[in-house]
Amino acid sequence: MIVSETSSNQASEHNQSKVLKPDTVQQSLSSDAFVQETALKVETGDEWQRLSLISILYFTIRNFTTSAQVLIYTIPALAISFNIWDNLLSPEVLIGAGILFLSTSGSGVISFLMYKFRVHNQHVEIHHGVFQRRYTNLPLWRIQNVKIERPFYYRPFGYALVVLDTAGSGKEEAKIVAVPEDYAEALKKQVLYEKAQFDEGALNGLGDEVISDGQSSSFPTQTTRAETIDASHSNEEVLNRRSVKDIIIHGITNNRVWIILGAAAPFYDDVFGVVSEWLADKGLQLNQLVGEQTVAWWQFGLYAFVVLMMLMALVALLSVGGALFTFYGYTLSRSGDRYIRRSGLLNKLEVSMRASRIQMITAKQDWLDKILKRVNLYFEQNSTAGQQMQELMSPNKLIVPSVTENEAFALSQEVMPGCDLRSRNYQTISKRFITFWLLAGWTLPFIVFFAIGAASSHLDIMLGALVVYGAVALLLTLRWWRWGIAYDNKYVYIRRGRVGVDYQCFEPYKAQQVIVKQSVFMKRRKQATIKFVLASGAVTVPFLPEEYVNKLADSVLFEVESTRKSWM
Amino acid sequence: MTISAQQETVFSNNQLSVEEIPSLKTLALLPISKKYRALNIFSIGLIALVLISIATVLRFQSFWSLPEGLLQAYPYVVAGIVALGSVWALYHFFADVRIFYAIREQDISKQSGLIFRKLSCQPILRVQHVEVNRGPLDRWAGLASLQVFSAGGEMHTFEIPGLSIERAEQLREFILAHKDIGAR
Repeated sequence: MIVSETSSNQASEHNQSKVLKPDTVQQSLSSDAFVQETALKVETGDEWQRLSLISILYFTIRNFTTSAQVLIYTIPALAISFNIWDNLLSPEVLIGAGILFLSTSGSGVISFLMYKFRVHNQHVEIHHGVFQRRYTNLPLWRIQNVKIERPFYYRPFGYALVVLDTAGSGKEEAKIVAVPEDYAEALKKQVLYEKAQFDEGALNGLGDEVISDGQSSSFPTQTTRAETIDASHSNEEVLNRRSVKDIIIHGITNNRVWIILGAAAPFYDDVFGVVSEWLADKGLQLNQLVGEQTVAWWQFGLYAFVVLMMLMALVALLSVGGALFTFYGYTLSRSGDRYIRRSGLLNKLEVSMRASRIQMITAKQDWLDKILKRVNLYFEQNSTAGQQMQELMSPNKLIVPSVTENEAFALSQEVMPGCDLRSRNYQTISKRFITFWLLAGWTLPFIVFFAIGAASSHLDIMLGALVVYGAVALLLTLRWWRWGIAYDNKYVYIRRGRVGVDYQCFEPYKAQQVIVKQSVFMKRRKQATIKFVLASGAVTVPFLPEEYVNKLADSVLFEVESTRKSWM
Repeated sequence: MTISAQQETVFSNNQLSVEEIPSLKTLALLPISKKYRALNIFSIGLIALVLISIATVLRFQSFWSLPEGLLQAYPYVVAGIVALGSVWALYHFFADVRIFYAIREQDISKQSGLIFRKLSCQPILRVQHVEVNRGPLDRWAGLASLQVFSAGGEMHTFEIPGLSIERAEQLREFILAHKDIGAR
């Protein structure tokens, strides 16, 4: 509901700015011959365009993977009912497989034939879909993100896939499946240019309004913005590169196993089969090992330990592989007011984000990161609810993997000048946080389990309850110790974590909503919880002194309402 | 053109002392309609009644036979529904009179909660759109709830329930007429 409404908002805004548009466009065309040139190239005219033939390959592969995903669930059922492996070479199975193969590969051609697009009058229009015909019409200025993907089989031929992302829902994403790389770049530049023009138009409209209201508010971004628009297309500056070593470190410190595990899912059964056969070859039978009483317990323990270590090593290896897969050749660069991330081993992925869209910087440091002195840095954009993207690919979060502490500091300074994540005098939370959660959340289950253990005279249950309770108390203490907030009139900082530490930093004027919570008990002790709702999510800091919370809430609201800066 | 006009406007950035920043503590809180509590308790009673009658119909119908255990459980089921319903109604009895709202020039606030008191403040500058919602019971009682959406996501929709329909429309108009609303 929100999405549709915001889009209509935008539409109305566009109508407003259309009045402004002609002169701004003329201005820019006369001053910026470069853009004019790209504009001529980008428009495909009235005629509908077909894709390049290479896109058949893309469609075929896509259809194969989608039908494989469906088949994965049906194969076990089929195999059980039909005993497929016994008569694997029977004519029925071969015919079935053949039909399946031909139809999916044929569907690539059909998908290709059913796809046409044009870029016309500042709109991208796409007709696609075989059974369900879809028509997508995207005005260039409404496109929020442009991703250029280069699957490995496109690269020798110099083609690229352009993914156009509008604000809000993932459904509104449009793909131009195969265009020459030059065209993709030109289209991207044009879209970014349109977007900048549109935003400036909206901003100008806003400026007029403010002036006519006689408000004496200043727009420091105005002139700088105009400059950056001119500069934005030509020079791109690389801010950060990640070497293979950095990415290996990232793979070890962060669990990126799922990238590989997800891709390998269809082959699990086979792998297990092969492994157990191999073990049997070596004269090692798992059930024998466990079943026989001859093996001493310490021997068994040792086996288990060795197996565990091997598994751990394997997991780490897989994780490194996954990290290399996504982050190989990582660069973070700045072009005008945009940050662009490029990475990928087989498929080059490109994500770009407007600097003004960044709501929050998050620096995450696990315990392992802490030892190795590395930090994962995230630039978070507005996240639309319901759009669940994998963290690494998400256009809403720009990740800079495993940078050193100094690099993290420099990068956060780059995005939010003057922000100091490290040495801050954080207002820590009250110890009541520990006692509250222990009493309110954990004491009752503890007593119940302890009582059960005592009643049934099971010492292990009693001990277990005690250990769990102790561990919880320890974790809560760590959490209390970390949790804190600071405000230096320019940024709000939040520090949190248990074993690792996360630092978050945001500009107070980007807050959407401020919430102060206080229970009856907290009121008695003059404490309160503060919560800031940002477009990228909410942050909460509990059990702060009441006076501090009130002052902070008032200052943040004052910042929002008096500066009147846009959060986007 | 706007840039040059911009430069002509008088720039002011006077120092403000901390006391001059408006404080949430001084909000003049207004109560919501008294009918809201009555309506909530009434609808809880209605739900409990429907559930009990379903159980009763199942108990005393003669179309098919129920296991003995279920027949014995009937009084407990009814007692359970009544108990839960009355706890729920009791909560609303005490909590609903503690819902307040307040309007300032630049923002709109709501305070609610029985044990955990929550004061949320929504700057009008950040409002994406506004809705006035009326369920069937609301319409019958002449009430409406005001929903204010920001970019903070559906989880953080700002809602003032139990307003009289005139007041809800008035608030909606106030927010929509606010000069900041078009500014995103």
